[in-house]
Amino acid sequence: MLLLLHHSLATEEGFESVKDSFANPLVKLVVWAMLSALMYHVVAGIRHLIMDIGIGETIEGGRTGSKIVIAVAVVLIIATGVWIW
Amino acid sequence: MDMVTNVTNFSRSGLFDWMFQRGSALILAAYFVFMLGFLVTHPGLTYAQWHGLFASEFMRVFNTLVLVAITAHSWVGMWTISTDYLTPLSLGKWATGVRFLFQAVCGVIMFVIIVLGLQIFWSV
Repeated sequence: MLLLLHHSLATEEGFESVKDSFANPLVKLVVWAMLSALMYHVVAGIRHLIMDIGIGETIEGGRTGSKIVIAVAVVLIIATGVWIW
Repeated sequence: MDMVTNVTNFSRSGLFDWMFQRGSALILAAYFVFMLGFLVTHPGLTYAQWHGLFASEFMRVFNTLVLVAITAHSWVGMWTISTDYLTPLSLGKWATGVRFLFQAVCGVIMFVIIVLGLQIFWSV
């Protein structure tokens, strides 16, 4: 992925070729999968930070928190899918 | 009974690791939101805009910070995973060696990412 970034930055042709490759549905799928995983990680991580402050550290709080994480993550993942396609 | 094998963490109590994990998480989250926002607000991105973004001094420093943050964040994360699951309970007497090897591989990968990343960001 780093190499992709380098290629897109080095020359104009590099940039265009990386941009063109995003029209490929397989590339879109891989990028979407990676972004989805990353977004779930971020949302769950924010839950960790909120629990570190002390909010939601009970068993009921934990259950509620995990449901919120899944709901928010699903929304973001769908939104990303819409954006990519 | 067991010798002390915990020498690959950043701090003795683990508090520095804990803090670094949270700090780097915030940096990475900010970067992620920033990049996503940039891409969403620039549909039909041109090379000039893309190159211009990364050529600014601010971006170079920010990206370097992100490289350090990714390294620290994933080191703490992989360290936690390896010490949680590559244990004498699961692997018997090979646990420490396997865990060290796993962490060493992670370390090498992180270092390569730092070197490649620095090259990319500071040659724009």
